[in-house]
Amino acid sequence: MLDRLMGGRRLTSEQKGRVPPGQYVTEKFPVLHYGSVPQTDLGAWDFRVWGEVENPFSLDWTVFQALPHTSVHTDIHCVTRWSKLDVDFAGVPIRAILDLAQPKPAARYVVAHCEKGYTTNLPLEVLADDDVLLADTYAGQPLAPEHGFPLRLFVPKRYFWKSAKWLRGLEFLAADSPGFWERYGYHNDGDPWQEERFSE
Amino acid sequence: MTSTSPTLGAAADQARAEVRGLIAGKGHAVDAARLVIERLERAFVASALHRTPALDQALRDLSLVLVGEDRTALGGKSPEAARLILRAVDRALDEA
Repeated sequence: MLDRLMGGRRLTSEQKGRVPPGQYVTEKFPVLHYGSVPQTDLGAWDFRVWGEVENPFSLDWTVFQALPHTSVHTDIHCVTRWSKLDVDFAGVPIRAILDLAQPKPAARYVVAHCEKGYTTNLPLEVLADDDVLLADTYAGQPLAPEHGFPLRLFVPKRYFWKSAKWLRGLEFLAADSPGFWERYGYHNDGDPWQEERFSE
Repeated sequence: MTSTSPTLGAAADQARAEVRGLIAGKGHAVDAARLVIERLERAFVASALHRTPALDQALRDLSLVLVGEDRTALGGKSPEAARLILRAVDRALDEA
């Protein structure tokens, strides 16, 4: 009943098994961020990788587009309790970025840096999962500005604030460093199946 | 510039009380955040409070949250972010 009041839909038993505890399913794609939506000039855009890597690099949009792309069909879960099933994102698999960057043995954590100073942190072992993308496409179309155009991190096994919009770089670190929401009370790990929403 | 020892005295007490009053007041968190930033900056200029790494981080983050022409231009997470950061400001005040 609550699901339907919240704009959800009737689910099959198989779908119900894909919804983490405390979540409702929506067919909408809510827009949640702070500040205003950045206006991105692709001609001036770049993406940087630095920190505990053998090969720090920076690349522009044209070079980024030439990297191998793949798609992921999965479900996403927001800490604000909505989940969206059967989404299709596409972009550069994180494996391609890791192959280029060559993280040093000391690299254990990654901070994603975005427009407007937004950051979020992840263990490298979470970032390195097969379904993690640097996503530039949703449902076959370039990301909408409010959903992160031109590029967002896509980490579907974590609450969606970890899938940082307007991504501009990845910093590899030996020690963990909390990101924006994590500094102010969101859970450091953000696993929806463990309901890791808040740390306090 | 930052200091590790909290500021003492009537001006410090008044600044902390006024900032905490703004944080605890009724009203929109985004409006409260703008007022807190302004009050803290005045306290720093008057040396009533010292900057600390925690306060500087919170003020930097607040400025990011409040980027926009007006309250209606801000994303839906701005009020929540402002509330959470203001709680951090409250906690950090005693060291300032």
